[in-house]
Amino acid sequence: MEILNFEETKNLLLKYKIPFCKTEIFNSKAKASEFAKKIGFPVVIKVHAPNIFHKSEVGGVKVGIKNLEEFYVAWDEMKKRTRLEKIEGILVQETVFGSELTIGMKRDSQFGPVLMFGLGGIFIEVLKDVAFRVAPFDKKQALEMILEIKGHKLLQGYRGREIVNLNKLAEIIVNLSKLSMAEKKIMSIDLNPVMANKKSILVADFRLIV
Amino acid sequence: MRNLNSKIKKMKYIFNPRTVAIIGATEREKSVGLGIVNNLLAGKEQRKIFFVNPFKEEILGIKTYPKITMIKERVDLVIIAIPASGVLEVVHECIYKKVGGIIIITGNFGEAGEQGKTIEKQIKDALKNTDIPLIGPNCLGVINANNNLSASFAPIMPKKGDIAFLSQSGAMVDALLDRCAEENFGFSKIVSYGNELDMEIDELLEYLKTDKETKIIATYFEAIKDGPGFIESAKKISKYKPIIAIKAGKGDAGQKAALTHTGALSSDYEIYKAVFKQTGIIQVDSLDELMDTIKALSFQPRCKNGIGIITNGGGLGVLAADFCEEFKIELPQLSEKTLRQLNQEDALKGCYSKRNPLDLLGDALAERYEAGLESVLSQPDIKGVLVMQGMQIMTEPMENAKIILRISRHFPNKPIVCCFAGGRLVSGAVNYLEKNKIPNYSDPKRAVKALSNLINLGK
Repeated sequence: MEILNFEETKNLLLKYKIPFCKTEIFNSKAKASEFAKKIGFPVVIKVHAPNIFHKSEVGGVKVGIKNLEEFYVAWDEMKKRTRLEKIEGILVQETVFGSELTIGMKRDSQFGPVLMFGLGGIFIEVLKDVAFRVAPFDKKQALEMILEIKGHKLLQGYRGREIVNLNKLAEIIVNLSKLSMAEKKIMSIDLNPVMANKKSILVADFRLIV
Repeated sequence: MRNLNSKIKKMKYIFNPRTVAIIGATEREKSVGLGIVNNLLAGKEQRKIFFVNPFKEEILGIKTYPKITMIKERVDLVIIAIPASGVLEVVHECIYKKVGGIIIITGNFGEAGEQGKTIEKQIKDALKNTDIPLIGPNCLGVINANNNLSASFAPIMPKKGDIAFLSQSGAMVDALLDRCAEENFGFSKIVSYGNELDMEIDELLEYLKTDKETKIIATYFEAIKDGPGFIESAKKISKYKPIIAIKAGKGDAGQKAALTHTGALSSDYEIYKAVFKQTGIIQVDSLDELMDTIKALSFQPRCKNGIGIITNGGGLGVLAADFCEEFKIELPQLSEKTLRQLNQEDALKGCYSKRNPLDLLGDALAERYEAGLESVLSQPDIKGVLVMQGMQIMTEPMENAKIILRISRHFPNKPIVCCFAGGRLVSGAVNYLEKNKIPNYSDPKRAVKALSNLINLGK
């Protein structure tokens, strides 16, 4: 099992209309910094490698890079930390803000693709507040799935939080269910976090496992 | 793959055979074979029974046949209860004889190891080009209570009724039948389907979908063989008939090493829960809850969400309201019209809570229940009612029961569930209610849970 390369990952997300934040992969510091300037600081850099499943554990994630100077330092450090790993390159991403969500898929031997939805961070890791559906399913089921988690009120403007477009979110979940049905070599998927705010819902971190 | 429709059509030979043969008939005390022989003989008025045993000429004074092929008449159903090593050969004989359907009771097949799996595969191959349906192996057998057929070694024949039960485990069948023996509901068809070598649960569901004698389908299983096939059948069939499931096995072994969050969190149990939600299956956790649910579904219609609670004790009402919240049952406010109607009732004299749960107060006599029940059931957004009764010295349980039954007839689409809390003092009234298909639960939690399973959230 390994993580799908960036190019194919990007193409699948585009093909199935699963929006993700501006991301490109680089091996050249000069080209990477050009891209960072283009998308605007602050940016995030992350290592992308077929065998690194937990990027932060190998120091493979750096967020909040505010300018070119910081970018060069972060780039060099990450290169150094991951010099022994077989990496595909380093991802440069725009920084997006909002509520953290998680959408995932596991291909079950009995029922086929099973999709999961939950909020991010402690909601999923500690409280395990998640909902499941077996693919394929429609938007109505996806909406039910969203409303099934205990924390769903946090997506509807609870205590000044941003209101998330649940309709759009449901569409993205359905699109992931379609991807899972059609792309049989993908064994599991973690989109975590997905950043949701008033304007957009964008996948900030993706891991498609083949 | 064989034609499913034709196979399902042939299921009539399993449930309604005119002739039955048991291969492995014996009179040895306490044996499976004798159990089946005796169960079959109980239905000898309804059908002809043949005993097959190459070693004995007579069993219980009845002539035997050394082989199935020696029987001249057509054989609709064959029950095989001989050691696993001999089963393949007799299956071949059954095919040669062109029997209608086969049940293999014998265990020691796929569940026991590789050797058993090999024989299973050979049996499956042998049946591949026939349309003989096979139930089992490794099962208790099949029961059709409506025509007195017990092709099984179950200890009792259940009461006739409208509930079908499909069970991967034979022991669950025995337990359920014995527990339900004194109940006022009964069974249509029971299948202990064992290893599902041929007929799988989704095909049995398809058969029951059009079975006129079955109104409710209860199931017990540990695992499903064909996941997508099950989802497809269950989705379709639960629209016509409620399906209830006990799923055993909540363990999540093997999840720990998952590479993704999704993998780590999606235990087998969570996936089944999702499958039940998506297919409209009512999931229950225990045999008690299964019984409570089939009773409610057998006796009463299903309804949409929105329940009225009527009680003569605040405590009972509050407890029930708590459980309603837990099980996501909505309790609509009493409308102005309902309140006006209640105010005009002489019986109530203004003595009642003006909300849902409607508390008729402790000294409520039957006339107060009558006025309360009729007004609440008349409110359009109240789709069903829970009638609760605590026993005070003046309470009239039998009168209350009669009133409930009478009023229920005016609201045939609104289910009524009772919680006459108590024991000895209410047993007469409870008997009366249940004989007349109004379910009663002595515990508020069980009553509310049963009610929640009556509510059809999907529609």
